[in-house]
Parts: sequence; C-alpha cells; structure tokens
Amino acid sequence: MSLIRALHAESLKLKRTLAVRMVFVAPLFIAALNFFAMYERRNITPEFDMWDTISKISLSAWAVFMMPLLITLETALLNGVDHGEKNWKHIFALPIPRSSVYAAKLIMAQLLIAASTIFLVLINILVGLALMRLRAEMANAGAPPYGWLFKHAALVWLASWLIIAIHTWVSIRWPGFALALGTGVGGVFFALFATSAKIGKYYPWLLPINVLSAERLNMALWLGIVGGLVASVIGCLEFIRRDVA
Amino acid sequence: MPNIAIETRGLTRRFGTQLAVNDVNLSVPAAGVYGFLGPNGAGKTTTIRMLLGLIRPNAGEVRLFDESLANNHQSLMRRVGALVETPSLYPHLTGRENLEVTRRYLNANRDLIDRALGIVKLTADAHRRVREYSLGMRQRLGLALALLNNPQLLILDEPANGLDPAGIHEMRDLIRRLPVEFGITVFLSSHLLSEVEQVANYIGIIHQGKLLFQGTLADLQAERREHLTIGVKQTEQALHCLTDAGWQTHSREDGLLTVAVATPEAAAQINSLLVGQGLQVFHIALTQASLEDIFLSLTNGKTAAQLLERKAA
Repeated sequence: MSLIRALHAESLKLKRTLAVRMVFVAPLFIAALNFFAMYERRNITPEFDMWDTISKISLSAWAVFMMPLLITLETALLNGVDHGEKNWKHIFALPIPRSSVYAAKLIMAQLLIAASTIFLVLINILVGLALMRLRAEMANAGAPPYGWLFKHAALVWLASWLIIAIHTWVSIRWPGFALALGTGVGGVFFALFATSAKIGKYYPWLLPINVLSAERLNMALWLGIVGGLVASVIGCLEFIRRDVA
Repeated sequence: MPNIAIETRGLTRRFGTQLAVNDVNLSVPAAGVYGFLGPNGAGKTTTIRMLLGLIRPNAGEVRLFDESLANNHQSLMRRVGALVETPSLYPHLTGRENLEVTRRYLNANRDLIDRALGIVKLTADAHRRVREYSLGMRQRLGLALALLNNPQLLILDEPANGLDPAGIHEMRDLIRRLPVEFGITVFLSSHLLSEVEQVANYIGIIHQGKLLFQGTLADLQAERREHLTIGVKQTEQALHCLTDAGWQTHSREDGLLTVAVATPEAAAQINSLLVGQGLQVFHIALTQASLEDIFLSLTNGKTAAQLLERKAA
C-alpha cells in the first residue's frame, strides 16, 4: 500500500533530527513547570487534590500553549527536510501517488504529537509520584488518575487535528520556517484574544483546551476532527495539483 | 520494448506571457544517449519537468514507451529514473540511508541499493553522512538514486553541473556505460556541446523554447561544410577580383577573406587567379565549421547553412 510505503520512508527521514528530540523535550518543560509549582506550593489543605491539580495544569498548558508550538515546529521540520534540498522534484517523479506522500506527512505529524502527548502524561505521573515522596502533605494523594489522564490527553490530541492540518499545509506549501513560525506564534497569540470573543470557542487554536470543558467538549472535539479532515483534504488537493518549480 | 523511449507532440508550456517551451516534438530512440542541448534558459529543464510529470503542459502530449504519461504516470515512473538539476538528498542521513528512503517509496528489493552504489562507485563511502560528501560524490549519489529502481530510461538534467574536471570525466564514463552495460536509454540535457558530443548518439537542440535540430550526431556533423579562408595583402583588390570571377566572397573583420568553396581543386584555382593578378597571398586554407559553430549558429536563430554563409561573408 502506497501510504504505508510513504510512512516508512518518512520514518527514516526523521532519523537524527530535532523533530524526534522535541517529542521528548517539549513535555519536559511542562513537567518541570508542574514539579516546581507543586514543590513550592504553600498552605496545602487536606482537601487539596494533587493529582487533579497536576493533571489539569499539565494538560491545559499543553493544550493552549506548548502543543500548538510543538505542532508548528514538528510540521516545519517534517516538511523542511524535503524543501531544503528541493527533494519534491525527486519524490514527485517516483511511482507513488502524491496523495500518499501528503497523507504520510500529515499522519507522521499526528503520530509525533500523539507520542509527545503520551510522554507528557507519563512524565507528569512521574512528577506526581516524586512529589508524593518529597512533600509529606501530598504523600496520601492516592493512585494516579490513569483513566482520566489518558482519556483527556487523547481528546486534546484529537481536537488538535485541525491545527495539525493547517500547519501541515502551510509548511508543505511554503519553504522556510518564517511563515510556519508566524502562523504558529500568531495562532497561539490570537488565542488570548479569541477566548473573550463570542465565536472564540471555534478558534482552531482553542479547540484542544475546549475539550477540557464539559460544555464545550463535543463541539471542540468534532470541530477538531472533522475540521482537520476537511482541511487535510483541501491541502492534499492543492498539493496534488501543484507544479514543482 | 518500443523503439522510441520518449515522444512529445506539440509540447508547449507558458509561464505567464513567456513561452518557455513552444511546440516541441521530441523523438528519443531507445537504448542510446540523447543529448538535449541548449543555452541556459532555452527550455531544457521545463521540458524535462514535463517529461517527468512535475509540471503540466499547456498543450501537447508526452509519451514514454508509447504510453501517455498523463494517463499512466505511476506505471511509467516505475521505468524511469531522474536526476533534475541538483541531487535531492537528505544531508543528515548517510548515502545508504538516502537510497533506503527512495527504496521504501518504491518498495523495491534491498539488493538494489548495493547494486546502485556499485554502479556509481560509492560503496566504500555509503556509511558516511551526505553532509560530508564532496559535490562529485553528491552528484554520483543523485545518479544512484535515479538508477535505484533499475530504470529503462534515465533522465539527467545538466548532470555535470558544478563538477570539477575529474568529476565530469567520471560522470561521462558512467553515462557511456549505462546503455552498453545495462541497456538504459539516457536522455541528458546540457548547455555544453563539447560535453554532449562525447557521450551522445542523438542530439536535440532547443533555443527559446523551440526545437531547432533533432537527429544523430552524424546528421549534425554532416552540416559541417568547408569554406576557404584567404589572407592577401591587397584585400580590396582580391575581393573585387574574386567577386568579378563569380566567387561568393566576403571580407572578415580580421582582414581575411572567405570564399564559399568545398574542394581543394577550387582552392587551387582561386590561388592561381590571385597570384596571376599579382596579388600577394600569405594564407590560404580550407576550413570546416565546428560543431560548436553550428550549435552557436542554431541558437542564434540561424541554420547551419546560414552559418556557413555568414562565415563566408
């Protein structure tokens, strides 16, 4: 199957790249933030739920800030390897459908973000377990909420499909990091203003955090998935029809 | 296998108002080397991109092995290898890993990697990262990528670009070997006639998007007609004398005269005429237009015959 072949090729292109390292580095920032914030926390009451706090802080910071920036970086790096040496002309002259090449780029970006999100959950569980040993007030926090963490991590990831689709198209369409970075930073920056707007809940860069809110969960989830698929199809059609200069 | 590897009919491509390729009808015989010649900006790369389906023509058709490229791109590309301008490489990967990326796209046999490395003589350096490669090694690796799938047709766009003399020599040897040892049809573009004439059996000359000449190297060489160059002290007198005698004679900027003749007998007759008139002849020689002259003439918008007239003028 041509998609599997293209994914197989993409996986080798990632070897020794920053794209793989960032899968692990980005969640470490959130985990470190969580650890120090919790370790330094004062006035801990008996009602304090350490796991709830850790889980919500990490997933919120991930959804609204770190993951969108990671998507920017990962898609730019994934496509940058083929822009750099003008490799599209070689790939397009191979007996493989362009749609498979595009889909492989998109799926690889989704997989990298999924892997990073899973790592975020795991590293934050470790942070919580470490805090239980280091802070006596948190020693009785109980077992980590594995189910809640993995379920909401998956929702955040699914809601990010629209952002991934937009960034895949931008970074595959234009070479260089400038436009990709501008789109990513702009997307995150305007999210601050979009939160207060009436239609802000539909803003693509806010969809991942909106799945953490019960009343917005369905809208954000479906808009993220369906919007992501529609944006992917539009991007793919443009990619298929493009001339290679 | 069909006798014609590449055939284009009325191939045309515009960029805005500029006509980059204009009604080009290529016919590339199988199992030889076809040199696609033209100065920079003549339309060579645009034509090659259309041959590979990288860009679509505004009009006309590309047929490879007697099949339409537009309708059979995937199956035809299984039989084609290409190196368009600079090699498409991943500098952070080794030479072998670069081939492995393309092998995965092709789902080809792993043994083909060793074969391709062997053909371009890169086996010993295959474990090194491409960022450490010299320009010549990168070009050879690009060729290995094009050869990986054991193609029947190899399309090379300016393969000697940027290479030093040793690299050009290596590339030339390699291109010569491909049809002989592997039965591969090679279509290569270049702006250097001297480069192409050393490897090609067939030549196409393109200029300003138009195909001006297409044929065998022998056909092109047949255009090399002789003419007589004369050095005489009394240039003006000699010019009148020969013109009055019915010879098509012209004076050149360097003071020499040229006469449109092709035989030693005619040259001897002219010499006798001038000496008989008491003129002092210090140089007389029958010369041929070089292939380079013909190429330059064609790409200046004139035919080879016009070139000879110009030379004689």
